[in-house]
Amino acid sequence: MLFNSLTFIVFFAAVLGLHALPLPWRLKKFNLLIASYLFYAAWNPPFVLLLWLSTLVDWFVARAIYTEERLTRRRGLMLLSVAVNLGVLGYFKYGEFLLENWQLLMGTMGIDFHPPSWSIVLPVGISFYTFQTMAYSLDVYLRRSAPAESFTDFALFVTFFPQLVAGPIVRPTQLIPQFATPRRANINQIAWGLGLVTLGLFQKVVVADGLLAPAADKVFGAGQSLPFGDAWLGTLAFSGQIFCDFAGYSTTAIGIAMCLGFSLPNNFRFPYAAMGFSDFWRRWHISLSTWLRDYLYIPLGGNRKGSLRTYANLLTTMLLGGLWHGASWTFVAWGGLHGIYLATERWLKRRFGGRSVRPVATRIGLVLLTYLLVNLTWVMFRAQDFPTAWRLLGAMTGLATGDQAVLPRINVIIVAVVIPVMLLVHWLMRERELEAVVTSLPWWATATAWAGMLFTIVATQGSGDAFIYFQF
Amino acid sequence: MPLSTFSSDARAMPAQKPTFYERHVPDIRWGRTLVLCLFLALVGFTAWETGMRSLGLFPGDLGDGQGHWAVERRKIDTSDQDAVAIVGASRILFDTDLDLFKSKTGLRPVQLALPGTNARPFLEDLANDEDFSGLVIVGITEVSYFREGLGLFHGALDYYRTESPSRRIGHRIYRALSRHLAFIDDGYGLTTLLERIRLEERSGVKGPYDDVWKISVAGADRKTWLWDRIETDTYLRDHARYAWDDFRGDPVSTDIVDTVIDSTRRDILKIRQRGGEVVFIRPPSAGPVLVNERLRAPRSRVWDRLIAETGAVGIHFEDYPATRDLELPEWSHLSRDDARIFTEVYVDVMMGRVDWLRQRLPEG
Repeated sequence: MLFNSLTFIVFFAAVLGLHALPLPWRLKKFNLLIASYLFYAAWNPPFVLLLWLSTLVDWFVARAIYTEERLTRRRGLMLLSVAVNLGVLGYFKYGEFLLENWQLLMGTMGIDFHPPSWSIVLPVGISFYTFQTMAYSLDVYLRRSAPAESFTDFALFVTFFPQLVAGPIVRPTQLIPQFATPRRANINQIAWGLGLVTLGLFQKVVVADGLLAPAADKVFGAGQSLPFGDAWLGTLAFSGQIFCDFAGYSTTAIGIAMCLGFSLPNNFRFPYAAMGFSDFWRRWHISLSTWLRDYLYIPLGGNRKGSLRTYANLLTTMLLGGLWHGASWTFVAWGGLHGIYLATERWLKRRFGGRSVRPVATRIGLVLLTYLLVNLTWVMFRAQDFPTAWRLLGAMTGLATGDQAVLPRINVIIVAVVIPVMLLVHWLMRERELEAVVTSLPWWATATAWAGMLFTIVATQGSGDAFIYFQF
Repeated sequence: MPLSTFSSDARAMPAQKPTFYERHVPDIRWGRTLVLCLFLALVGFTAWETGMRSLGLFPGDLGDGQGHWAVERRKIDTSDQDAVAIVGASRILFDTDLDLFKSKTGLRPVQLALPGTNARPFLEDLANDEDFSGLVIVGITEVSYFREGLGLFHGALDYYRTESPSRRIGHRIYRALSRHLAFIDDGYGLTTLLERIRLEERSGVKGPYDDVWKISVAGADRKTWLWDRIETDTYLRDHARYAWDDFRGDPVSTDIVDTVIDSTRRDILKIRQRGGEVVFIRPPSAGPVLVNERLRAPRSRVWDRLIAETGAVGIHFEDYPATRDLELPEWSHLSRDDARIFTEVYVDVMMGRVDWLRQRLPEG
């Protein structure tokens, strides 16, 4: 179920109530496990079987790896876990993509291949929990951690509903220890948790869906060449929409977990104030970027095998990171662009030295340049196909602009107000934590801002649109 | 230590092992903060609800959408053989009084018509439903029924077939809240109202003013009628007329007419083979809307052919004196009072001409 749904409000109230009862910790954990399965089944009950498959395979494989001393057997078991997890992911997420591309390849060789239609429904959040469970077996294989002692704790780690379908992708060492001892939020944690939930839903319902999505949808849905201004405004709107949508989900997830007494890590750190792309990836979808670093980039050799290999590793990691987002070449291109950015930045730093930049104007300039280049990648991310992406990029670079505007004046005004405000907030919060800011504010100012967000969420109502990242 | 994702500092970097940590809670007085927040939010909600009621919204307007439609469609799945289903676009939806229909025939129709949506896939759905042997009333808006696209609610059938348990529950909660709160209305969300601020529009751009705004009210069972503010508020009525753009467009092609009549005939045959029946109804339109409809889909080329070639009973508003001069405030839908008159007339005609219905009428 969606966080921004009435069903979730009732569900969460019930879970919170149950969790507050004076029950044994084992029973509370069992309640959370059942609640998590219900949460997932509320989309499509049969897909709970996938969660069980993932849970059982990694539970047994990790234990076997831990007790096995022979390297070949350990490696075989690890590969079994990877094969099952990636196999399930591949079947559901990439099956149609592979078939289509195979058909195209056959076509180029003059073979008229017609595969059967592929009408498989994508299980929501499969990329997230697949990576999370895979990390568990990989950590045990790499001797970074021991297997969980309790099956319930492990099952809850795989299934924990606040972050099950769209992250943060939590590592075993971050979450499993939290299930070991009784946890119950105190009143301060519940209040702050609810505050985070409100902030996350405000980002999603009001800013992403209510204010920015209309402009982005109009521009990316236009079937013609656009004027320079409309192309940029639509892309800027999407940059705000995707951030508020995804960071909104993560913030809500963190808040929900906190209300139950659990701590989830930050997934975003005001990324549009990033100076450069390695900085951007330390601030955007942190749990995925660190996952890719630890389980892909470093095993590929990271930066330990020479310059060329480092650039190749960066590019490979980002291309696969792009593919993780969706079974489409546009996502691969998005990842590829980020790979090129990272490689170029690395080359520039090696060539000119990684001096720290002091003048504020230069820092702001670098932030804006990074943001501008990130926006070019968002075109690839959001466009439904390459012709749309080329059309938009043509208009944004002034190479192929159209005459007919598509954005109504009110959307122009909204984007022109919301995006600079968002950038200003990111800049001001660049080196700060939200918690520190709230601590420094007068209590009545926090209460007023909180009430304002609560009111606008309810008054906006929302259409119950799914979070964009659910499709990944 | 900051994580150095893909940075040049990662030389010989061992894989990070993130460890569990306790999140910090801001050190403020949470009790009084929470109380003030709830108080201010409550004041805001109360003011908003009051404001929305003053705009003519009211509790009990349950709204409409795919979730509402799916609830009705499932009634067909569980209905007995005497089910009456209405498919079509917004006219037959607004212009049928379900209560009056029930009081005259003893049968309450399941309202499956959808605004701005082609009725054909829904007729086809019922034709392919082996368990359905009832009466289908097809509301005809020629330029909607005789076109290639499916229109606004093209995804309704998919939604009904794949609706998640979460959405079903959410829909129930939404309806329960709608019975008590006026402000719950898709057309009057905060950002929707923000978009409707009237500004001089950019050249050639269609803006929120060009969209269809709220024109209907819906009760239980998707019983729908024209919102009374469309009758009484000049601005909203003029806007609704403007949004229809006089139903301008290309004429319906002969190819489309041929194809649609052909597929409709097949669907009717399937339904009749199971003992069911199909009736076509053309609700009224007026003013420039009617003028353009006559130009785009002349009666002789479209409606008359449909009735003649399918052999179904057809009830056209122009054929009955009582329905020729009804009130259509925005030229496309009847006022609530006149919707009753139209329902009365067409149900009377059906009771006289449709055997399926006549056989099921209560005695006396």
